[in-house]
Amino acid sequence: MAAINRINRRWYSGMATSEDWWAVWLGLVFCFLGLLSVTGVDLVGWIAYPRKWIDISQSIAPLGKSYHNLGAVESLLITYLMFTSATCIGAYFMRWNVKRYFLGWTFIFIITYLLWIIGNHAFFAANVTNRAKYGLTYSLSLGGGAAYILALLVGLIIGNFFKHFAAFLSEAAKPEWFIKTAIVFLGVKVGYMAMKAADVVFELAITGACATIVAYLIFWPGTYAIARKIFKLPRKMSAVLASAISICGVSAAVATGGAVRAKPLIPVMVSALVVIYAVIELIILPPIFTATMIEQPIVAGSAMGMSVKTDGADAAAGAVMDELMRNRKMNIDGTKWEEGWITTSAVMTKIWIDMFIGLWAFLLAIVWVYKIDRRPGEIVPASEVWHRFPKFVLGYFAAWIVYLGILFFLPDFVDNAKIGAVPVEKGMRKLFFMLTFISIGIITDFRKLAEARFGKMVGVYCIALFVYIIPVALIVAYVFHHDMRVPIAQ
Amino acid sequence: MIDLIVRHSGNKWVATGGEFYAEASTLGKLDKELEKIVRQKGYLEVSKKIYFFMGFDNSVLPEWIRQYSQHYFNRILCIENDLNP
Repeated sequence: MAAINRINRRWYSGMATSEDWWAVWLGLVFCFLGLLSVTGVDLVGWIAYPRKWIDISQSIAPLGKSYHNLGAVESLLITYLMFTSATCIGAYFMRWNVKRYFLGWTFIFIITYLLWIIGNHAFFAANVTNRAKYGLTYSLSLGGGAAYILALLVGLIIGNFFKHFAAFLSEAAKPEWFIKTAIVFLGVKVGYMAMKAADVVFELAITGACATIVAYLIFWPGTYAIARKIFKLPRKMSAVLASAISICGVSAAVATGGAVRAKPLIPVMVSALVVIYAVIELIILPPIFTATMIEQPIVAGSAMGMSVKTDGADAAAGAVMDELMRNRKMNIDGTKWEEGWITTSAVMTKIWIDMFIGLWAFLLAIVWVYKIDRRPGEIVPASEVWHRFPKFVLGYFAAWIVYLGILFFLPDFVDNAKIGAVPVEKGMRKLFFMLTFISIGIITDFRKLAEARFGKMVGVYCIALFVYIIPVALIVAYVFHHDMRVPIAQ
Repeated sequence: MIDLIVRHSGNKWVATGGEFYAEASTLGKLDKELEKIVRQKGYLEVSKKIYFFMGFDNSVLPEWIRQYSQHYFNRILCIENDLNP
């Protein structure tokens, strides 16, 4: 049984015990190790990283050049030891059952690398520009997306058909922790990308923030109106649903439930629905957007960020779409887009959305407490904004800012900084994406959707999401991001 | 400021802390209960205003949801001695 910070009384409450903070610690420790490459020492290049392969002996190797003498097995072993010890320390402080976590993690780690390697077989991953290199006349052109899809599928099979095994793994299947850590690593990626195209990164950040504000102001009232006017749901349930469907899923449902002082059962029910729908979106949206929006990849990424709820499913959907779109583009006209920009577009929009939820919930609390419920003597503490702020975002921006600082103030160190940045932003980030995919699958049980009595909420969710949120997200994303280009890979 | 822990039992809001225990079907009624206790115990004879910090017991949230969110709400309740300004 995981412990929890029972009361968030102080600003530092949960720093040692919450997954949100542990994503920051875990992410920043490895970012710091990567950063030490500015001194000429590579402390992160040992990360085992699968490559496209046709000969299994070429399928995996350390990512850092300074570790090229390390064999695949040694590299895998070091990767396992480093992340096992780091995450077990986190599990200990979060007061999880460390033994169960360790065993579950070990299985998840092994399955993850197996699927990552299989997914990189040239038949799945190669595209028209490089399949000849592997002696193939046909390949699925899925790029790294094949491994992600495989991980999700295997996770879903375990979660839905091997329930005892899923229960055994559940202590270590933590998609939100893994994805938040991956997003801290993505901060390094964004900083690293800024070294190549600073103007595009800043444009993406600013337009992402604008799109998010517009989306808040359009999505929430519209979804609330659908719940109230069409489905005649009560006020509090409508508010919780509106936040969950239109803002950021589970965290928004819980924040809004607390803000409007709803019984905890309401956000819990809504959250169960969110988790299932997020996986459905993760499965169907990347191929649809890839097929229809190949000329507007940043728009597609941003729309994904506004549409897919839960950080894990959104980042995962962005990563799959990044792979699918880049490979499709290469198949169409041979253009090789830089990796990571579409994922970043999806994640950056989502991060803005996450950051605003504290403020939004605070405003809702003020409206509810002072205008609707009007309980005499009740005061809404401003500290609520902080308690609801997603802390992993601090790690993301810290990593980003450090690398931007090197770019602008220490240009002589840029080349060395890149040596430590690549294993973190590429190897570790993708490892944690893979862990997220498999964990999402393991904890998703589609039968819950049929068993639970969600009633009208399913209807509200379905209509609001597919008829309202996704189309409006596409329009808003188009308005702010249209014609933004993904830089061409060198 | 008196610190209380507030939780929801499934059908009632419950506030506990030190010598305080109150339960009610709505938060409004819970506040009234607390006010009653404060007056009975004579707190308002010593002080014009009594503040309660009511931190929600986040362990009420199911375990699977905690990785997404670990904060439900904190609220402050001010009870004034309006009879004796």
